[in-house]
Amino acid sequence: MILRDVVYAIDYFVFGYFVAINLVYVTLYLISFLEIADHARREAFRGLTDLYSSGYAPPVSLIVPGYNEEATIASSVRSFLALRYPVHEVVVVNDGSRDGTLDVLRREFDLRPSGQPVWLRLETAPIRGVYVSRTERLIVVDKENGGKADALNAGICAASYPLVCCIDADIILEEDALLRVARPMIESSEVAAVGGIVRVANGCRVERGRVVHISTPPDPLPNFQIVEYLRAFLAGRVGWSRLNALLIISGAFGMFRKEDLIASSGYARDTVGEDMEVVTRIHRTLREKGQRYRIVFVPDPVAWTEVPSTLRVLWRQRDRWHRGLLDTLVRHRKMLFNPRYGVVGLLAMPYFLLFEALGAVVEWVGYVAFVIGLALGVLDLQFAVAFFLAAVGLGALLSVSVVFLEELRLRKYPSWRDLARLTAYGVLENFGYRQLTTFWRVWAIWSFLRRNADWGAMERRGFGS
Amino acid sequence: MSGVSAIVVAVIVMISLNILLILMTIGVRALTAYQRSRRERVVASLEPLVVEYLTTGQVPARLETLSGYEQDVLAEVVVEMLSQVRGASRAALLQLSERVGLVDRYRRMLQSPRKWRRALGAERLGHLGGRAMVGPLSRLMHDRDETVRAVAARGLAHIGGEEAVALLARSLDDPSELTSLRVAENLQRLGQLAVPALVEALGRGDGRGVVLAARILGNLRAYPAREAFARAVTAGSTDVRAQSVLALGKVGDPDDVPLLLRAARDPEWPVRAQVANALGMIGDVSALGTLVEMCSDREWWVRHNATRALARMGPAGRDALLDVIRGQDRYAREQAVAALEAAGFVDEMIAALDDPGPRGDRAREDLLTLIRSGSANYAHSFAGSVASPNEPHSLLEEVISSDLA
Repeated sequence: MILRDVVYAIDYFVFGYFVAINLVYVTLYLISFLEIADHARREAFRGLTDLYSSGYAPPVSLIVPGYNEEATIASSVRSFLALRYPVHEVVVVNDGSRDGTLDVLRREFDLRPSGQPVWLRLETAPIRGVYVSRTERLIVVDKENGGKADALNAGICAASYPLVCCIDADIILEEDALLRVARPMIESSEVAAVGGIVRVANGCRVERGRVVHISTPPDPLPNFQIVEYLRAFLAGRVGWSRLNALLIISGAFGMFRKEDLIASSGYARDTVGEDMEVVTRIHRTLREKGQRYRIVFVPDPVAWTEVPSTLRVLWRQRDRWHRGLLDTLVRHRKMLFNPRYGVVGLLAMPYFLLFEALGAVVEWVGYVAFVIGLALGVLDLQFAVAFFLAAVGLGALLSVSVVFLEELRLRKYPSWRDLARLTAYGVLENFGYRQLTTFWRVWAIWSFLRRNADWGAMERRGFGS
Repeated sequence: MSGVSAIVVAVIVMISLNILLILMTIGVRALTAYQRSRRERVVASLEPLVVEYLTTGQVPARLETLSGYEQDVLAEVVVEMLSQVRGASRAALLQLSERVGLVDRYRRMLQSPRKWRRALGAERLGHLGGRAMVGPLSRLMHDRDETVRAVAARGLAHIGGEEAVALLARSLDDPSELTSLRVAENLQRLGQLAVPALVEALGRGDGRGVVLAARILGNLRAYPAREAFARAVTAGSTDVRAQSVLALGKVGDPDDVPLLLRAARDPEWPVRAQVANALGMIGDVSALGTLVEMCSDREWWVRHNATRALARMGPAGRDALLDVIRGQDRYAREQAVAALEAAGFVDEMIAALDDPGPRGDRAREDLLTLIRSGSANYAHSFAGSVASPNEPHSLLEEVISSDLA
């Protein structure tokens, strides 16, 4: 009898949780639809060319941490140097690579040792040398291995300019991405950080460090991720940005004010979720200082990245992401439900704890309770099946609506085939893929509790393949 | 309704919404394709009529009976043509816009309750409206939306003329940074025409607009603004003073050097840093002594700019930097070596090492100065960086090792 009551209670809890989380999602979607519509209309009058030619855009340092990147670093740096921006420099941080990354840079960019000392205002592993190019606006910091966050901190210290754009070495930036991501900061000194959209490059044709033809790949796994990325960026981040409660700017592509980063002690070196942690810490620091600020997401500056194409690598990546989320929530637990941190403490942090961090557990508890309930005969099968179908229908609706939003405002995918594929995968992801990623998140919680701080190697096929 | 039937209804609603959204997605794509082809058809039908008007001077009857959509497409065609023609053709196109009702249409849009309509009206009137539209656009500079104000500023700049310029200069103090930035960009685009209004703006206190005015005048290298800069250097806020001294540097008149030398003693480091920049831009040797002193300033940026300024001043600047390197101030020495490197002087020294004449002697002496100053690391690094066998690698090593011994 007690077990029966427990199963009943779990079922009703899961149902209530399902309603609550979807209400939040629908609200975020509505905000995002309105915000992106406004952004698209405003874009027609913004005058990006005027901004480029006016000379009023402050110079930007592009920070590129690299570890064992000898195969691709030269073409990546060339494409970063060729970005359309009035004045920018590229700061490559060779994070103790064991391959010939530094030699390639020396050879390709005519580097010479720099006498310019680096003012180490953030903690980093020892710096072995600093080089500058004789021909390009390129600084190379050669340091001992300390991880991505450590390398980013070294790059921030070596940066010459007031705005720093932190990116992954293996992403492809669209030609005007830097100008677009910097624009909110140029137009308002209140903006402390800006995130741009990261899109999936699998299936696209890449030539000379630029995406020249956008297409979806034939494999299912990257297609599921395309829909996931669209949902996360276009619905989630746009919505949170509108509320000034954006807690994550992708580590692959984000811009910050150097002084804010330094005031917030830079990137944490002992976390696997350094991108979320640093944004949360900037919120915390600026709110504690009582400073007026905004952290925004803009949907049009695009960075292209290659996503995992095997389940094994994808598992590692998701495991790391979820541990990073949990770590950030634990570190900044003081902000949770704390009115001192405004909408971040009262809305964003609780959302990330209750729905993003623990959502996977609730979902799996629901699945288990469903099976036990059926076995004990305490569950109304008709109700359970209808509930499952409703959940799948709503999941599909959220995915299909983000494909609609993409088509309505951004229109990156030119062919009907891509549109059909994305719509189909938006529906199909609810049958298996979603349950799998949810399981990985539960696994990550277990892994986090066991204090696993492993980064997890990321294998990429490369844009040429 | 029981729980089950409620869920069943929810399932049906979900499926229906999914199907609806998929149909909407298909519809959006189809509509976009249709709109594109429709626009191409309308452009193809209107362009010959505009060309006919430009050739004959007669307005084709069809252009006087266009729908609102067709008028918008015609406006795009005319704006595109305006960017390609000058003189009489330009005047004829503006006249055409007036006669076929485009100007009236966009003027009416300025009153729209929808901000994007007002912005569109402002943008189009900037291209098609002429001087008579300065008044209506100036009223838009007080619009509640910052983007609309920014677009109106661009419209006023397109129209040009003293009245528009004066309005723009007054809008530099707009509370929105976005709008004031757009105003600044457009004033700069207007060039010398904007100078008198900006000089007037420079005397208007200490606000952000004044800083922007100084910055634009500097970018325009506005010689007539020198007196206003001189006043601002002694009276303005830190930002105004800093921008004013920098602007004097951009103007580049050696007569302003005494004023800048006085400003080099400013209590605020941003001003001193810009003084160093400005002195480097003017390049007058009478500033050498002050710049050498500034190399030992307590602020990093001042030292940095002062050494860079010296590096820009040719051989005299190089000698001054070598003097700094011989001095006691370690921080100044670091900056001076970095400046010599960045300016390519060190590469020149290395290249001249095997010269048997006085050039080679001088290069040896200068490199030894670098090494004695504690810059041996630099010299070793240079030695390592000389990759070609034709370069005097071994000679450099010899210089270094003999000195260290």
